Amino acid sequence: MSNIDAKQAAEALSDIEAIVRRVRQSRIYDLTSLILMQWGALVLAGYIVSYLWPRAAGWVWIAVNVVGVAGTFAVGTLVRRRSAVGFDARIPLALLLFLAFGYLNCYLGHFGPRELGVFWPIYFMTVYSIAGLWVGRAFVIIGVAIIALTLIGDVFVGDWFELWMAAVNGGGLILGGLWMRRD
Amino acid sequence: MAELDDIIHQPLRLKIMAALNALPEGQGLEFVRLKKLTGATDGNLGAHIETLARAAYVTVDKAFVGKKPQTTVTATASGRGAFARHVASLREIIAGVPPAET
Repeated sequence: MSNIDAKQAAEALSDIEAIVRRVRQSRIYDLTSLILMQWGALVLAGYIVSYLWPRAAGWVWIAVNVVGVAGTFAVGTLVRRRSAVGFDARIPLALLLFLAFGYLNCYLGHFGPRELGVFWPIYFMTVYSIAGLWVGRAFVIIGVAIIALTLIGDVFVGDWFELWMAAVNGGGLILGGLWMRRD
Repeated sequence: MAELDDIIHQPLRLKIMAALNALPEGQGLEFVRLKKLTGATDGNLGAHIETLARAAYVTVDKAFVGKKPQTTVTATASGRGAFARHVASLREIIAGVPPAET
């Protein structure tokens, strides 16, 4: 029979709590990385199509958002079935509200195509970075990096802005997702 | 009366059981993921998983995913129960409850 004092018992409990935190974070990363890569692929396609056919850009981005929300829900459902983990159905609902608020901002602000291209990634990544303060620093690093690169693109990249954003935002989300799954 | 489980009490086995217990019942962790979470070496982790398996606290399933072998470790119901009792004992020790006589 093991005999330990209160200090050793407290240390053992602290070890347990640390491991439980890491397991939870790893499970959040598993789910989020899939959603991130899905959005990355959609956004990358959205920017390329917007560059090639600027007149279709408005419809393209509506389609990207609709497919993105549906995909987020599908990935969540898939993960829930596979792992018996509770996927919070409020997540896609929150995403819908978040998108609605974004569209309202764009409408009230009378944004042009360039402003829209800058606004959406910064809007997404700000919320993403804020979430990272609770769920893991990978979120903060990815979010802040994409915001910084978006602003650099706005200031320094001229007519190639959509292609810059395809690489930075679309590529950044895909690479971020892969980075979260590196283990 | 605080009564610690000698099998779970070992630091690495405690971490293994804590990680597996954090999952929903019936779900396991792959060996490589468990290794990363606990910071253990292959040999050390394998040996301690074997000890837990002998005590029927975990099950070990080996399968092939594509061409890659994959080992999954899952806490059993008795393992979860033993872990819960062990944690309760740790809390009792902190609260000043004397350890059980052997």
